[in-house]
Amino acid sequence: MAENAVQRQTILSLRETIARIENGCPPPAMPTTREPDPAGFRRDREGASHRKALPLGIPPLDGVLRGGLPLQGLTEIRNAETRDAGAAAGFVTALAVLYQQERKSKGHLAPVLWISQGLAAREAGHPYAPGLKSFGLDAEHFLFVSARTVKDALWITETALSVPVFAAIILEIRGNPTSLALSESRRLHVKARAGKVPLLLFRQAGEEEASSAFFRFRIRPAPTGERPLPDGSVLCGSIGHPAFHLLVEKSRFQASADIFLEWNPHDRRFYPIDERRNAALQTNDQPENPVDPLSASAGRSRGAQPLGRLLAFARAS
Amino acid sequence: MARSRWGASWLSRGRPDHPPVVFAAKIDNAMRLVALDALAERIGLKRGQGAAEARAMCPSLDMIAADPAADQAFLEALADWCDRYTPLVALDGKDGLFLDITGCAHLHGGEKGLVSDVLSRLFALGVEARATVSSSAGLSWAAARYGHAHVIAPEEADRVLAPLPVAALRLPEEAAAALERVGLKEIGDLLEAPRAPLARRFGSLLLLRLDQARGQADEPLSPRLPVPSFSAERRLAEPLIDEEHILELTRHLAKDVRSSLERQGEGGRLFELLLFRVDGRVFRVKAHAAVALNDAERIAALFRERLQAVHDDLDAGYGFEILRLAVLRSERLDPAQQDFSGVPDESQPLAAFVDKVSARFGPDCLMQAAFAESHLPERAGGFVPLRNIAAVMDAPAEGKTFPENRPLRIFAHPEPVEATAEVPEGAPRSFNWRKTRYRVTRAEGPDRIAAEWWVDGEDHPTRDYFRVEDQEGRRFWLFREGLYEREVTSARWFMHGVFA
Repeated sequence: MAENAVQRQTILSLRETIARIENGCPPPAMPTTREPDPAGFRRDREGASHRKALPLGIPPLDGVLRGGLPLQGLTEIRNAETRDAGAAAGFVTALAVLYQQERKSKGHLAPVLWISQGLAAREAGHPYAPGLKSFGLDAEHFLFVSARTVKDALWITETALSVPVFAAIILEIRGNPTSLALSESRRLHVKARAGKVPLLLFRQAGEEEASSAFFRFRIRPAPTGERPLPDGSVLCGSIGHPAFHLLVEKSRFQASADIFLEWNPHDRRFYPIDERRNAALQTNDQPENPVDPLSASAGRSRGAQPLGRLLAFARAS
Repeated sequence: MARSRWGASWLSRGRPDHPPVVFAAKIDNAMRLVALDALAERIGLKRGQGAAEARAMCPSLDMIAADPAADQAFLEALADWCDRYTPLVALDGKDGLFLDITGCAHLHGGEKGLVSDVLSRLFALGVEARATVSSSAGLSWAAARYGHAHVIAPEEADRVLAPLPVAALRLPEEAAAALERVGLKEIGDLLEAPRAPLARRFGSLLLLRLDQARGQADEPLSPRLPVPSFSAERRLAEPLIDEEHILELTRHLAKDVRSSLERQGEGGRLFELLLFRVDGRVFRVKAHAAVALNDAERIAALFRERLQAVHDDLDAGYGFEILRLAVLRSERLDPAQQDFSGVPDESQPLAAFVDKVSARFGPDCLMQAAFAESHLPERAGGFVPLRNIAAVMDAPAEGKTFPENRPLRIFAHPEPVEATAEVPEGAPRSFNWRKTRYRVTRAEGPDRIAAEWWVDGEDHPTRDYFRVEDQEGRRFWLFREGLYEREVTSARWFMHGVFA
């Protein structure tokens, strides 16, 4: 019986360690009557529980994110198809603008660093400085690096994470390369938290993949509203502020969420799309010309193949 | 040639049994000998002889096609090697080097010691060389090629020159031949002759060369490389192979350089590490710094990244015997004082980051946004290599504003699309891009951008830009090139960028 209790104690302490590493509250089902471990596993729980966050100002999204965007550590943003890279780049840039604003309010003029795999920029276009500027980003405080390989990009990212100057670091990767798997993302996450820098991993045309990010968002394009006129009406047939369809695929706290957002470059903040349009968008979700999504994964097994994919085996004899 | 065939120590071990070696090249439409080794000279072959004739004299002759580029490369490598004695090394034609050893000789045991050191080291490397130290470049040239003296004192110049042939004066061939024709075979004859008739008959060059050889006229040497303003070097008894040790030594050298930099109030922007390998090869590794540096740790860190990057090219072989750190470019560095406000100066870590990245991936790898006064989108804004770090950290000047409807991503080369429009001048209704059909639900435009005639010429087509949204909410930036009926009959459509 006593042995059993010791085992239980070990398991409990391991669970708590995992919870502490994952930087969240311990699962509520766990009994927490135990005294603090002498090894000090629970020492900084108070610090960890109120995580530094940047609220987005949209209650349903902030609820899912437990207060807002993490101010340090890894956040992943992905899009499924290359042609959606514009929308995802917009969302990433918007987050970078928010981070930059946050640093500015503290009195630092901090630059944003965008590290891009060369292939990603060739496929989906280069970031365009006037466009970034009209999107609300401080383009004078913006550095861009184009790395030839994923390994180079990772090296630059790690170097950048060790210097405390950047408001945000964006790492743009195409597909699901083997050189950026779970262990590498874990390493980046730990480094970003140690350096107290937000790292946005922008996975272009990539699949869902296990990673150490706090959150993983999937961005899909969404039709914009119409341009408002001074008298309160809208200009018919015009294209208004950029809109996004945001799916929270991974979150440590709650189930996934599905939210439509609009970015206002003048106010530099997100707004929710109003109810009527939201409802229309949710129903009108079927594309007319669907394209079989092909991810840009390279050198990686794609998990279980759907049944009927392999029609005939090669002849053995 | 001999070194690559018989190994570097062929001179000290003795020449293997091999037929005479000559080099031939095509001169005046005939294959002639341009260079020959000592054995070939002994059997009576001469420079300028025809190749067929030489073969007839010695059937076993080993004849090799001359390669002037390789000779030049070898001479430059040798000049690099001579950097160990003095930074002022000048190339002399195709087969000689001038070393300005003013103020350096005492470091190598006097002039005699220096010459014997040079010759014995070159002998060990398998290079046959002759050297003379004197007070003028012309005298050294003459004595090294035609004389025997190693060190010539200034007052002995005339005595040494007198018995040498006139060819030793670096004259053009026809001038030397003309002198010999009139019986002036030795320089001594010229020294005694009256100057005015000589100048009238053979031109002023003869007298200039004569004066230069006697040390009466100045002759500036142009060194191959600019002399670094600051440098430090370390000679090692045991050659270094390990990269860690090289870096450790670099840090020590950086400390030496630092003290002289500090005295001048300067910081280095461009550093060069010279690695002299035991077998005579010299590696030069350059590293740029983003801001003026004089901190030993950071200079060493620069080279850590740089050595990583050039790791494959840097073959340590049997090790490096001399390391030298030189500052090629320096700038004024005002000593900064830490203030008490508690806000750390953020440009320093950024500069360190920039140094690290550019040492590894080249100085043009990090880019910053640059805006230009242009209406054409691809000219209006782009990225240029980062040059000024302070601009990234400072508060921005009130920048110009851009039209709002500019895309977030732009294609370096606009991609052709097939578009159909309701009216020729109007917005597209649908288009094919990358083999997928998109139906346009909303469009804004046209945004007409004419070509810049002062750059592109007057007949460059105008572009009509449209901002379109497809059914799923993707927003694209399309343009039609050319105006109907005025510029083109059938316009082409292009995809230039994507919006958020």
